[in-house]
Amino acid sequence: MKRILSVVLAVVALGALAFSAEKIKAGFIYVGPIGDYGWSHAHDVARRIVDEKFDWLETVYVESVPEGEVETYIDQLVRQGCNVIFTTSFGFMDGTLAAAQRYPNVIFAHASGFKRWANMATYMADFYQVYYLNGLMAGALTKTGKIGYVAAFPIPEVKRHINAFTIGVRTVNPNAEVHVRWIYEWFNPAAAKEATEALIAEGCDVFAFTEDSPTVVQVAAEKGLPSFGHYSPMYDFAPDYVVSGQIVHWEKIYEDFLVKIHEGLYTNKNLAHVDYWWLLAQGAVEVGAKPGMVINPKYEEALKAKKVNVPGLGEVSVYDLVFIRLNQMADPGITYDPFQGPVYDRKGQLVVPEGMWLSYDSLITMEWAVAGVVGPWPGEP
Amino acid sequence: MDIASWLVSTVSRALAFGVPLLWGTLGEIYAERAGVVNLGVEGMMILGAFTAFAVTQSTGQPGFGLLCAAAIGGIAALVHAFMTVTLRANQYVSGLALSMFGLGLAGLLGRGWEGKPLGNPLPTLTIPGLSKIPVLGAMLFQDQTILTYLGIFLAFLLWLLLFRTRWGVAIRSVGENPGTADALGINVTLVRYLCVVFGGVLAGVGGGYLSVAYRPSWTEGMTAGMGWIVIALTIFASWDPLQAIWGAFFFGALYHLSYRLQTYLSPELLKLMPYLFAIVVLAASGFGTARHRRRAPGALGVPYVRGER
Repeated sequence: MKRILSVVLAVVALGALAFSAEKIKAGFIYVGPIGDYGWSHAHDVARRIVDEKFDWLETVYVESVPEGEVETYIDQLVRQGCNVIFTTSFGFMDGTLAAAQRYPNVIFAHASGFKRWANMATYMADFYQVYYLNGLMAGALTKTGKIGYVAAFPIPEVKRHINAFTIGVRTVNPNAEVHVRWIYEWFNPAAAKEATEALIAEGCDVFAFTEDSPTVVQVAAEKGLPSFGHYSPMYDFAPDYVVSGQIVHWEKIYEDFLVKIHEGLYTNKNLAHVDYWWLLAQGAVEVGAKPGMVINPKYEEALKAKKVNVPGLGEVSVYDLVFIRLNQMADPGITYDPFQGPVYDRKGQLVVPEGMWLSYDSLITMEWAVAGVVGPWPGEP
Repeated sequence: MDIASWLVSTVSRALAFGVPLLWGTLGEIYAERAGVVNLGVEGMMILGAFTAFAVTQSTGQPGFGLLCAAAIGGIAALVHAFMTVTLRANQYVSGLALSMFGLGLAGLLGRGWEGKPLGNPLPTLTIPGLSKIPVLGAMLFQDQTILTYLGIFLAFLLWLLLFRTRWGVAIRSVGENPGTADALGINVTLVRYLCVVFGGVLAGVGGGYLSVAYRPSWTEGMTAGMGWIVIALTIFASWDPLQAIWGAFFFGALYHLSYRLQTYLSPELLKLMPYLFAIVVLAASGFGTARHRRRAPGALGVPYVRGER
């Protein structure tokens, strides 16, 4: 057995050698402008990082591509000589699949989707664990017991984030409510601003959000209220008021994927089951106001002062609880999950039984709202 | 929720959101009153937004930033005036081109400026005395910038100018019947140029408000369609500066309420509300009260060539 393994390894290593001389030209297709300071911006930051890191890699990108026209842009990138193409919006899924079948020699990877092919992988860096950690802090900081959440679209990804956040809030503050407002756009600063103002008028005093601009952070800061950044580091927008937040590191996924192609481990034949679902443990996401700053020092004292009784841990401060949970989830052998049963939805139904964790499929198709969420919830089962 | 809180948040947000719409609409009213449709409002606003941000960030002077935004808006409109008045190009095509050009250029120049918060935004005012009045004070005299009050003042001024002065008669006659105006010795080209450029100046300030006051930062595409709402509001206001005031603020109130009311009504429906309302009003204004003032200027959208009818 050992011998067979070593032969296999040798073959792989030889293959890797054979491929390593090859140059990779990777094309990136973005749905938004790279200046959105959100989703497309984060992908482009990652592209520049990997581009600088490897001399065998050349990258090109096209931005603001309408979802229906992705195939035209893929054609264009293939003509330019790209042999790896990343498409970075859910709506690009079917177009990417069609192109993958048309260009069997090109390797494709599609972000946030679920359709794969021999030469098409999928990848996603998800934030639900980080939202939970932010929820713990938010629960400790609210004085009115109302936390505002500005959300883009009522889709499973966003619902998962709101639910994980609310579970965190309720762990610390069992009576607190998370008030949700939908803006039905990924990027519309004016909509995000008015939604935040509406939440402030309702008495919310701590803010989190899932949309693609720093608006919520800015509006909350104007009123002197704390908030949590999202996607890009937003500390600089309000150094006194950004408590923590979600930060993405797409470059971890891009690096892993491209290196494996370069080494010949991933080819245009073996990607049908390659699905990156990368979380804290893989370093694809980070909790913090900015890289390296998990909690804004201005809020350390308040979080240390707030004590909670957590089953299995006894009485701990929220500050310590954040780091305990962070370590449990960042450890490769993950020992904690926010959706750890028992979890009840807001209609009182038990959705995750005692001691159980949610499966990947349940996570990515989540439609229910956890107890503590207040406000409209389109598509609620 | 008590009534006072609803009143305060609705009126105060209506004012804050309505400001860029008001400035833009006042400008478009003047351009259209002189017979030139300018669909480039979105482009002029975004150029204004970027200019105001970049200048304010570099100099620390939001007032100066807004002044530069006004200048850039004016220059962009000058291009439109040249295309449509001098070269007599199709006004709709030229305006659309201006919008696309503005969005593209601002996006390009804005690289490297995004993600930076503005050090000193335009300050919000708390009017001494008046802001102390219960409810009314919080509604009208707090959390607004100078541009809110200046915009309302400007609307009155522009109304007077348009309907109570000889200049106003000249502008309106150029928009109604440039041939007759020309025969009467009015310089049609000059009037149209001035009105279009003035429209651009106001649109530039409206855009600048977004990036130095409303949300003090620069992001590509941050006008997010406000320029198109301005076009609709111009018709909605029947080309009347005074009606533009309540049109802009009413739209602002609807926009804010579409988030405030989400707990009670379906968010999908609420999201449509402001736009639905605009369509209903536009449809309604087509019927009914055919007073001469509700009508579009007679020569709107038609290039003027001396000697042709």
